[in-house]
This record gives sequence, structure tokens and C-alpha cells, in this order.
Amino acid sequence: MAYLTQPDYIKYVCSCGQLKPITNLYFCRHCLKIRCGFCICHEVDSHYCANCLENMPSSEARLKKNRCSSCFDCPSCFHTLSTRATIAQPRQDPAAGDAKIENKQPKKMYYLSCFNCRWTSRDVGIPDQPVASGGWPERTNPFAARVNQLLDYYKAIAQQEKQEKLDRERKKFAIRGKYMNLTDKTGLTGAMARNIAGLASSESSSSAIANFVPSQASEEVEELPEDYHTQEVNLKQITSMRQRLRAAEWQPRSAARLQPAARALSVKRSQRCRACDHNLTKPEYNPGSVKFKIELLAYYHVPEVKIISYETVKPGETTALLLKLTNPTAHEMQVRLLQPQDVPEVEEREEPKSIEKSLEKSLNLEKDSSWSKVLQRRAALPTACAVRAPDAALTLAQRDDAAEYDDDPQHDTSDIIMWRKSNKLALRLQVATAAGAAPGGPARAALALQYSYRNTVPPAAAAPAPRDHTLYTTLVIHLGTVAE
Amino acid sequence: MELQDTYYNKSEYVETASGNKVSRQTVLCGSQNIVLHGKVIVQSDAIIRGDLANVKTGRFCIISKGSVIRPPFKKFSKGVAFFPLQMGDHVFVGENTVVNAAVVGSYVYIGKNVVIGRRCVLKDCCMIEDNSVLPAETVVPSFARYSGNPARLITTLPEAMPDLMTEFTKSYYQHFLPTTVN
Repeated sequence: MAYLTQPDYIKYVCSCGQLKPITNLYFCRHCLKIRCGFCICHEVDSHYCANCLENMPSSEARLKKNRCSSCFDCPSCFHTLSTRATIAQPRQDPAAGDAKIENKQPKKMYYLSCFNCRWTSRDVGIPDQPVASGGWPERTNPFAARVNQLLDYYKAIAQQEKQEKLDRERKKFAIRGKYMNLTDKTGLTGAMARNIAGLASSESSSSAIANFVPSQASEEVEELPEDYHTQEVNLKQITSMRQRLRAAEWQPRSAARLQPAARALSVKRSQRCRACDHNLTKPEYNPGSVKFKIELLAYYHVPEVKIISYETVKPGETTALLLKLTNPTAHEMQVRLLQPQDVPEVEEREEPKSIEKSLEKSLNLEKDSSWSKVLQRRAALPTACAVRAPDAALTLAQRDDAAEYDDDPQHDTSDIIMWRKSNKLALRLQVATAAGAAPGGPARAALALQYSYRNTVPPAAAAPAPRDHTLYTTLVIHLGTVAE
Repeated sequence: MELQDTYYNKSEYVETASGNKVSRQTVLCGSQNIVLHGKVIVQSDAIIRGDLANVKTGRFCIISKGSVIRPPFKKFSKGVAFFPLQMGDHVFVGENTVVNAAVVGSYVYIGKNVVIGRRCVLKDCCMIEDNSVLPAETVVPSFARYSGNPARLITTLPEAMPDLMTEFTKSYYQHFLPTTVN
């Protein structure tokens, strides 16, 4: 939590070279690599309205243009509108003097009101509704028919081009099998036959193309009103740019024509590793739930490093740094501090692949892996400050939820370990700063960790993978600014 | 960065059997209607209006200095009625913040100088940044980070938010120590 309220003091290097705080990183248990939001696949799981927390199937969401059917946003300040009830007295109609008793009873009427800017649906003359939710008049754009026509036209063109491309491909790679079928013999397919006969290949697409009327530019433009330049401008009556763009279909000029806008839906998304296609996170379906079915976050798998305190960094001097290491896993962890240049290359770290896996990879040709080349790059690590890493393996106990009731931390006799407490460890380290470090500039130091990791993925029956791994991670520690 | 120790005067705070630490300098109206579920810290000059309706908090809630927890009211045709205010576990309420919400879920972070309007619903795992104003009857969904006046969604929160909040409130409680008697 401190992560969200403080600047990011410690950033980890993602396998794609991005620097991110540990809370924004994922850990793929199958590739055993750190992933971040930039190098994973984001998928939409479900659509829901963030106001009424109602799920909407994706097909329905598409039909409703990803907007909720019962919640509205204020067109003036974009806050959610609330429904207010009023009691409407039925009008006494002199013509119907013997009105029924029911008619005389006050009737509840509802209108929309914004509690932030006090805009109401009555301001723009929308009649009150007899039902609490829904039933609000839907407006259709005057150009809706033309927009739909254009949409159909371009869809038809896309379809046609796709079909042509497919046909060309088919001609190129026609498989000449042992067996001949009738169409091969006669050289006729259904579409070709229709073509020969001079019929339209596909009714719907060709009709959309044929019936399409291109728009025409007109010479004559409507004249501006007489008083356009002389009329005094009342800025209170004119909508702002944001208000106009919020209602892109109408773009009202005057504030009196603002209409409540249906609230945009939110999505629940799941994340997937691009290298191995395994899910990294998968939320539960229920929009109100904060639980996850799959949650492979770096925060649960990679040793967490926190700064306890540090001395101000001065050029050419050695200053003290206190770090806290936490083991989030349920297994004991051996941690060794390294210099970032001592981390072996990625290729070396990769474990020998089983034949099966490499075969699978060679067969899976069409899988696009170009993204990794684009994304993969080395993070620029700072060199001005260096953490003196002691050459010692530190053992971090496994996480134990009952341990919080334990008493005081144990003070270690070792000169680098300050104290230990269940799965946590405080380290006393030294930071050496180069004499040439620019005063006033940011003081950043890079540090690498080698840690043992036990993989808890049940191994495939055919190829039992090793359970214990030695993994590396590099992090950048921000130590304020270099002193004068 | 690890949280620093905050010290309090031992004579100023009352510690209950369930671990609640409540300052004597607070205004707790209608204390029979206030339920603090254990390990809750209520700091000096905070006001909890239990006289209006029931106020319930979960475990490990932190109510900072000068904040006001006040059950919301709703206007009816025949007057007003107050509704109980529920707060989940691991909720942080910053300094000088006014909370008029109907429901505050678990793992919620509310910054300082924030106004939460009447009958707002804050779902689990959300965050309201410092100096924000949440208009009345707003629903803040899970994993949303709201900021500004009126507060709007600015970004989302990491998936580990429940654990981050649990860690934060627990370590806040652990670092909230009495000053040693000199």
C-alpha cells in the first residue's frame, strides 16, 4: 500500500527491459520470468456497469455500444446521475369532472439529477418518467441511416477483399490430392459457377456495394444568420469542448440541448503470458468480487525488497543503506546479492528444452513472436552508485501467516543481517558512490538478486521438470538525490 | 519504503481487550451504537457520530486525526432518516477527511482532506486520493483509483491490492507505539 502513496523507491527490471514497481509486475510460473503490463496479452473477460454492477454479455454490450441501459452520466460534469422521485399531483381536468378516485391519488414521477453540478433532466425539458429506471427517451441521430449505410458499404468491401484474397491463396496452394472430387474434375465451385452464369456471387455484399451512393460536395453553403457577428455571446449557454465531444454523435452547441449520456461499461480483464499462453491473472466473474481464480503476481513469487532507511548519498563516499527482504512464497528461499553485471545472460539461464517442447514450437509456425524482438531490450542500469554486495547466501524462511503473533525480531550476530523475523530479513549494506556523480542528480543504484524458487506447477507426466530453480532478478534502488 | 514508527502518549489512548486504540481526545457520540471490530486505531480529534445511526468498522481500520465518520441521511417526503454506516476490514481514512458513505468496503484507502458525499458506496479495493471530493450517491467500483473534484476514475489499482492494504494497515498498527516513559 505504501507503494501507492509513495514514489516508487524500488523498481524491478521486467524481462522486457521495463522498470516497474513490484506491484505492477507478474510472474509466469511456466516461463519462470517476470512480465509486466507491456509484454503480456490483455483480454476482456466480461463487461459490467461500474455503477449498478450488472454484468452484460459481450454480444449485448456490442449491440448497446458498450453502454449501460439503466445508468446515465451527467452531460455537464460527467458525474453519474441519480434518480429522484417527486410526487406529481394529477391535473384537474375540467372536462372529466367525475374522474376516478385512482386518478386523484398522487403519482410518483422520476427525473434524473446530478448531485455534483445540480443539472437535472427537467432543465432540458425531458418529461418525468413514471418508472424508476429505464424508459428514458432514446434519441436517434438524424444521420443514423447514412452512417449505417456507410458501415454496410465498408463491411461489404472488406468482405469482398477478404474473399478475393482467399481465392488467390486457394489457387496458389491448391492441394492435388490422390482423390479427385467433382468440383476438381469440372473445375467448378459454387461461387465460380455463379460467376460464370453472371449472377451475383453473394447477395448481401454486392447489393450493399451496388446501392451505395457516394456523398457529394455541394457548392451552396447555408448562409450564416444575420446577427452572427453582432449577437452577444453568453458563455453560460454554450457547451464546452469536452461536453461536446462526450456526445460525439450530436455535439450540441447550446447547453439547453445537453442530454443524459448512457454510462460506459467497464471490463474485467484477464492477462496472459505471450510466450507460453498461460493465464497470469483471471478474475472471478462476479463484478463485485475482488478475488481471482488465477493470480500470478510478482508480489507473490519474487522476493520483495524494501528500503528501511538510507543515508544521503555523497559523491566519492560510502553511505549506509538498510534494506528489508521478504519471502512471499510458501517455501524456504536462498537469496544471494549480486552485482547486476554478474547476472548470466538470458540465453544461458534458459533451461534445456525437452524434445517435445521444441517440436511443438517448430510446428507452431504461424505463432507470431515478433513482439518479443520489438519489446525485448536491455534496461539502462545506473552505474554511479553501487551497492557493495556481501558474498553470502541468505536464507529466508517461508511465509507463515501465524508468525505475525510471534514476539520480537531475532537479532543476528552477523554484521550484515540486522534482524530476522519469520519470512523477513533486514540487511545493513553499504553504497559506494563514484566521485564523479553529479550533485543534485538522482541517486540510483542497481542490485541483482539470485534466489531459489520452487515451482509448484504440477509437472507434465511426460516430462517431469525440475522443481527447484535458481532465478535472477535485477532492481534499481532510488536513494533520493546526490548531495552537494 | 518501510513505514516509520509513530509514537503516541500512552495516557492519551485507551486500549481495549480486542486491541482497539482509541484516543481520549475524540468525540464519539452515541458510543453504544459504535462497533469497532478489533485492532482499530481512532486518533485524536476524530469524530464518530454514533448518535445518528449505527457505525460499524471491521478489523484493522485506521481513522486518522481530525476525520469525521458520519452516517448518511436521506430526505423523504416526511422528513429525513439516517442510515447505518458500514466499514469493512483494513480501511485507512486519512487526516481531516469527512466520510458520509453508506458502505465502505474492505481494503479501501481514503486519503487526507477528502469529502465522501452522502450515501456513497465504496466497493472493496478502491482508493480515493488526497484532496478529492466524491459527490453524493457515487458508486466507486473495485480496483478503481479516484481523484479530483468531482472525483473521477483516473487509473486502476494492482491486483494485489487486498494484500497491499492488509500489509499496510497491519504494519501501521505495529508501528503505532506508545512512547516509553522517561
